[in-house]
Amino acid sequence: MDANFNNILVFATNIKSKADKEFISDILNKNTVIQQWSIDQEDIDCVLRIVSGILTAIDIIKIINTLGFNCNELE
Amino acid sequence: MRTRDINKQDLVKQKAIEMIVKQGIEGFAMNRLAKESGVSVATLYIYYTDKEDLIKKIGIEIGKNFFSEMMKDFSAEMNFVDGLRKQWENRAKFMMNNMNEMACWEVLQNSSHSDYIVQESVEDFKIIMISFFENAINRKEMIPVSKEVFWSIAYGPLYSLLRFHNKGKSMGGFPFTITPEIQNEAFELVIKALTP
Repeated sequence: MDANFNNILVFATNIKSKADKEFISDILNKNTVIQQWSIDQEDIDCVLRIVSGILTAIDIIKIINTLGFNCNELE
Repeated sequence: MRTRDINKQDLVKQKAIEMIVKQGIEGFAMNRLAKESGVSVATLYIYYTDKEDLIKKIGIEIGKNFFSEMMKDFSAEMNFVDGLRKQWENRAKFMMNNMNEMACWEVLQNSSHSDYIVQESVEDFKIIMISFFENAINRKEMIPVSKEVFWSIAYGPLYSLLRFHNKGKSMGGFPFTITPEIQNEAFELVIKALTP
């Protein structure tokens, strides 16, 4: 496995289209405390997966909401 | 603290293999997999980054497992008849014990992920088997035929018998179970065809 399990955060979002993904990519790629991120747009929940030892789920939700998308942590 | 539960992960893998076989890659969905294996979607995404990652990892694991089983008591330097007999034994054993995995492998081989999966799992196996084939021709233990003809003659009969065995019946619906005698009878005919 590529990362410490405790540093993986998983969210349901409405980041659906290719353009949506490109839009958030710019922001997430520039964030130096995000070690790795990916989004599964084939899934109904467009699951966003973030690896970061520093950011909390609330931090991520704030970032994604600010960009105009829904974001709920999956437990 | 979140920990990795190996049993749970194995269950997820088994379920994923079953679902890929039954529904194909297109029909396979992560959230359905989570539901059917009794884990949360979040847990699934801790193991795998996305559907593609899961499919590739499962394919590579099946390929590597196959490779290591095929290499048991086998080397490319072996005498042709002994080496091929060992391949028959290893392949028959693997296929009978891993029917779902083999069916899943077939599905993945017909998908766009096949090149990547083969490259990451059985590339070295291909090299070893080609070397076995070339050694046999160079030592004149086998008649010179193309790789494709060799493969078809050498393994085709075994795979046909195993398919009958898995279905429990042969062509025309006759009940069928493979036995060491039947396997050996077919093997001897293969050797007859391929040796000078």
